Amino acid sequence: MIAAFDEVLGRQVSMRAMALLRVLAGPIVLLHLRPFLLDALNGKTYRDTFYEPYASWYPELPTPLYIAVLCVGALAAVAMTVGWHTRAATTTVFAVVTYNLFLSTTHVHNNRVYLIVVLAALAVAPSGRELSLDAWRRARAGLPPLPTTAPAWPLWLLRFEASVVYGASGLSKLLDSDWFGGTVTWHRVVRTREQLEASVLPDWVITVLADRSFHTLAAKVIIATELFIALGLWWRRSRYAAVWIAVCFHVAIEVSARVEVFSYLAVAALVIWAVPSTRDRVLVIDYSVSRHRTLATATRWLDWLARFRIVAGPPGSPIQVVHRDGSVNDGPAAVRFVLSRLPLTAWFALPTLLLPAPKHAAVEPPGSTSRMTRVG
Amino acid sequence: MLAVVAAQAFFVVRGYWSAHKEFAYQMFPESSTWRAEIARVTDDGQRIPITEPWAGYRWGELVDSRGLSSPGVRRHADAGLDNQLAFLDAALDWVAVNTPLDTETRYLEAVVTTWHNTDDPEVVVLRSVDRSTAE
Repeated sequence: MIAAFDEVLGRQVSMRAMALLRVLAGPIVLLHLRPFLLDALNGKTYRDTFYEPYASWYPELPTPLYIAVLCVGALAAVAMTVGWHTRAATTTVFAVVTYNLFLSTTHVHNNRVYLIVVLAALAVAPSGRELSLDAWRRARAGLPPLPTTAPAWPLWLLRFEASVVYGASGLSKLLDSDWFGGTVTWHRVVRTREQLEASVLPDWVITVLADRSFHTLAAKVIIATELFIALGLWWRRSRYAAVWIAVCFHVAIEVSARVEVFSYLAVAALVIWAVPSTRDRVLVIDYSVSRHRTLATATRWLDWLARFRIVAGPPGSPIQVVHRDGSVNDGPAAVRFVLSRLPLTAWFALPTLLLPAPKHAAVEPPGSTSRMTRVG
Repeated sequence: MLAVVAAQAFFVVRGYWSAHKEFAYQMFPESSTWRAEIARVTDDGQRIPITEPWAGYRWGELVDSRGLSSPGVRRHADAGLDNQLAFLDAALDWVAVNTPLDTETRYLEAVVTTWHNTDDPEVVVLRSVDRSTAE
């Protein structure tokens, strides 16, 4: 049992998703630090108003030094995103954000706690070996690229934490009779009815939202959604549905509540649920066809998780995707599949996978060079 | 790895009794609301509402986070009542010990009315540290 556990955690897997998350996390950190930096520019820090240290021994810096630390954190966030001295930059960002968070109980919010968890995972994982200036500089200097695989444990740890965010939230609501019965959501709507009436929502929507019986059902749907995301992400058969629902869930939260960086962070962190291997599917393209070339270009630009290897097929061949198991989709089904695996288009394309998409066995093994030419 | 998992599990469970629910991820836990009448109690026993500035201080400028800047207005306790009351209690202490120009206040007192979700209101009285002994 323990040996199997060790094997899973120590298995070499692709760190591509962590690299992509690192790129996305930088702007989120800047967004998080923005109010602290704006206050500092106006000569105000947390110490000028009510704050509550967690411990008397927690070090507090002189104001100029504190502001300098925030600035270093912001610069390090930029370096982290572009991948310049990635490990040092990511560790610095984690240190600054964590230090600032625990200066006061008033700084701590769920979204910020999740941010430091994500930053901790990025800091311990070798996330700078691709999608980074470090990798580019290394190639430019003629040095061999560093391996883009690493032991899987940081990825598993972050998956666990991401799942806990949804699971703990859903569980706390499930165990609270007021939440489960719909009282909490209904009461919130009633308390904000004036704001709703001043919004662009049509009257019938407001009437439905203020209806007590609507919340008896809606509360259960919300709880089921959170628990489904928490559990559904772990299994391949339910993962894409969980990802799709999670995006809807976060969009709904973002438009209905003030949650700082939570929505951006949670949606960005969904990339960690991609299977941690790269270029293990083949996209076969006939370069004499304009539509094929467009798909190839889009895939080359948007395949941030490096799912596909693009090869040139024989003239007249349809667009094909050769899957890991050697089975093949072609035509519109192949296009839909490709779009469902690109982070920017996945949310739109995933529902189309419900359409019939017959697979057939590959005529040639992936990567064969007899009639296909590897181009990317 | 196991240590992190165990620690995370501990924090999730701790969230069910702790006022501050760090790492417990209890989102939108209650629809509860609260309102507080806060007064400064002077050495001679007068109760002066903090809605009036004193010794160059204004409550809203001293306490501007966690929904505490206008305590007289009924507001949502967005992280739960326990959390809100813990912050208010700490804010009273902070104001008491961080207003050196105030030479007349002995302590601050908040009479807090809370509504847990749709339950009937309850009243809680919070008091800051005594400024004569807090130095």
